[in-house]
Amino acid sequence: MGSQARCLVLALLLLSPALLSKSAAAQTPSAAEIARGKYIFGATGGCGCHTVPKEPVNAGGRKYDGPFGTVYSSNITPDRETGIGSWTDEQIITAIRLGRRSNGERLVPVHPYTVFNGMGAEDLKPLVAFLRTLPAVKRANQPKKITVPMFESVFLPAWLAAFAPRETPPTAVPTSGPARGEYLVRAVGHCGECHTPRTMTMATDNSRFLAGNPKGPEDSEVPNITPDKATGLAWSEEEIADYLGTGNKPDGDVAGGLMGEMIEGTLAGYKDLTKADRLAIARYLKTIPAVKNKIGK
Amino acid sequence: MKLRYVKTEVVLGTLVALALASSATGQSMAKIWTSDVVADRQRLMKLNGASWADAQAKLKAGNVEAVAVNAETMTLIATQIVALFPQDSLTDKSKAKPEIWQKWPEFESAVKNYAMQAEKLRDAARSKDQAATEAVAKEFGRQACGTCHTPFRVPPPQQQPPSPPQQLQPR
Amino acid sequence: MELRCVRTGVILGSLVALAVVGCATGQTTTITGSGDPVADRQRLMKNNGANWAEIQAKVKAGNAEAVAVNAEALSLHAQRIPSLFPAGSLTEKSKAKPDIWQKWPEFQAAAKNLENRAGTLRDQAVAKDAAAVTATVATFGREACGTCHTPFRVPPPQQQPAPPRS
Repeated sequence: MGSQARCLVLALLLLSPALLSKSAAAQTPSAAEIARGKYIFGATGGCGCHTVPKEPVNAGGRKYDGPFGTVYSSNITPDRETGIGSWTDEQIITAIRLGRRSNGERLVPVHPYTVFNGMGAEDLKPLVAFLRTLPAVKRANQPKKITVPMFESVFLPAWLAAFAPRETPPTAVPTSGPARGEYLVRAVGHCGECHTPRTMTMATDNSRFLAGNPKGPEDSEVPNITPDKATGLAWSEEEIADYLGTGNKPDGDVAGGLMGEMIEGTLAGYKDLTKADRLAIARYLKTIPAVKNKIGK
Repeated sequence: MKLRYVKTEVVLGTLVALALASSATGQSMAKIWTSDVVADRQRLMKLNGASWADAQAKLKAGNVEAVAVNAETMTLIATQIVALFPQDSLTDKSKAKPEIWQKWPEFESAVKNYAMQAEKLRDAARSKDQAATEAVAKEFGRQACGTCHTPFRVPPPQQQPPSPPQQLQPR
Repeated sequence: MELRCVRTGVILGSLVALAVVGCATGQTTTITGSGDPVADRQRLMKNNGANWAEIQAKVKAGNAEAVAVNAEALSLHAQRIPSLFPAGSLTEKSKAKPDIWQKWPEFQAAAKNLENRAGTLRDQAVAKDAAAVTATVATFGREACGTCHTPFRVPPPQQQPAPPRS
């Protein structure tokens, strides 16, 4: 080797620990960050759409039928071939918030990215860090079956632009007060995805935010949780907070169905929210407009 | 129809129908209880007692509406009683009297009466009317429990001390 | 045998069989109460809820040891649950999911789970172990009731406020 080359090699050898440790430091999240990520994970209900009950967490494969056809939730475990293990943080966050995969493919908004767009960067990064700590599961994604012609090329972009309400991210994640409850309900908890009625175009009708959906996911009748006395939610803040933490209802009934799944979560769920956060959610629910909308008989 | 054919068909049909009937009710007649029917009914009766004791304690404390839970529990339990006294279940451990089976219609009546009285208690409690609830409660021991216990049960030889509503034993 | 004769025979035979079965069950079975399993089970479930609400209230009031009677009610009621879901009882009024009959062993296991957990709660209360009772009650709703309600029941479309209790 020439002397120049030798110098270069020597320099690289000397610098490499510094270089490696710098990139390692950038990539190794702290325990606190991962804990925060797990908390956010629970606040979304444990990303339950990505887990088939009783099967490995986040391995995907859960079926969703819609007017567009059928999609199956993706594998979001760190598996490099079938999951998101080879994606960068930015690519994962882009998928979560903007609905675009690393290969440019657009997500069908069963994954409610227009709502998750309301999440703050300070929550998204830890969430991704947490996702990366989970066991990698090898399970190939099942391809979607779209029955609407030109759905991805024409219809979906037009629909997103014209009809789908989009949450905006906060400059900083609110940690207390009314803004906290609003953040948890509108963005992270994505309550509206089930509890807000849909328009004819199947977009959420945010003029009737959380007023219930008679034809919700898996054919459920989803309750009106606005403060309307006759048709909405008449529980106290304490009762709402308690329900989110335990599933217990004031009449002795216990949450079941999809809401039962959200409260239980997967590795974490709504039940793992702090009392303060559950009260913040409850308080926020008391402030939204009361909408008269009777669900069920 | 020739008589000979009818007989064969009747037999066949009966077999078919019985098979269908037993498979249809198979799930609903799945085992509910343990194989020890005496232990099961004693457990049930203990719950009746505990519910009634709890109801009395509530009334004493002026907690009228809450008596409804106890009363409804007793009504629901009452629907179980008759099935727990099959023929030949008079064992050593049992405190049942042979009269139960000698006077079966009376026994069934007594059980129905118990259920009815418990419903009466429940409805009074739901109405939140303290006087009405106390009036039913005053007679309940004798009317609801006594009308059966008097003819049909061997009284316990030693009286249990008054306990808090904790008459239930760990299993 | 001619087919027509067989058919007549089946009808006649069925009537005979039904009469026999009817008599046999008539004396010993008032198990279902009203005879309508949907009404009976909804009534039983309401009582479960009322007993559970009372358990929570007693614990909140610092009276954890007094829950034995309620826990025992839950445990005994739980024993009856599978029998209240006979095949073909999925009527319009029912909030049961067809999954119950598609996954019958799982459903039975869920009912057994309630029975066992309620029994444990009862034993803890009888033993006057207030700490154990409080700990059990903290997760009982999800673990004893939710584990069945989540897969097997259609949730109510409107939330009910706090009881009248029965």
